[in-house]
Amino acid sequence: MQQSSESDATLVVALPATVDLHARPAGLLVREASRFGAAIAIVANGRRASAKSILEVLALGATGGTDLTLTASGADAADALAGLGELIPRLA
Amino acid sequence: MNFGDQNGLAHLLVVSHSARIAEGLAELLSQVAGPEVTILAIGGASDGSLGTDGERVREALEAAGDGPGTVVLMDIGSSVLAVRAALAELEPDQLERIFVADAPLVEGALAAAVTASTGAPADVVAAAAEEARSAAKL
Repeated sequence: MQQSSESDATLVVALPATVDLHARPAGLLVREASRFGAAIAIVANGRRASAKSILEVLALGATGGTDLTLTASGADAADALAGLGELIPRLA
Repeated sequence: MNFGDQNGLAHLLVVSHSARIAEGLAELLSQVAGPEVTILAIGGASDGSLGTDGERVREALEAAGDGPGTVVLMDIGSSVLAVRAALAELEPDQLERIFVADAPLVEGALAAAVTASTGAPADVVAAAAEEARSAAKL
């Protein structure tokens, strides 16, 4: 994880090869992201989404194996990325 | 009519012309948002045909007025009219706990259900549903 400041953090994590970011896995991701106060953005395929918006996350159209670049800012940014970094590789 | 849960999460009430749309949407919402969110989906007329059962809508909204906060989403036409007519019969303190979302049904309900699953209050859930009006898919 690369830390650019005390409250900003970035993490790149790939979707599992066989898991597209469809409705159910996207729902799990958004629900995990929503546990944190930090603002969390996901960039994939040149598109950007709030990790707390199911419609924006679905609109990323991210397919299996795609790198997701997560950026979080806020007091619990590091915890948020740790949580998502744990969850995303386990999506099925 | 009873929403039947005590977990404090905002509830969803979905009103459609079609029982199968209502049922299928509720299934999708549970899959994406998880089973903790209480979703009551009403579809079709009282004889099972396409249409709106105003009486069921009224009963559901009355029950919602006693709940922890309910977000209502409708498809089109008489579903909207039935909700409006039912709301007109409720008391002000009941209306405080009901938030009607002016949003596309499927996308709005999806946003609402996921947001409700995070513990957000009903007004925030309704606002999330209304974001679906401008959310791009492509």
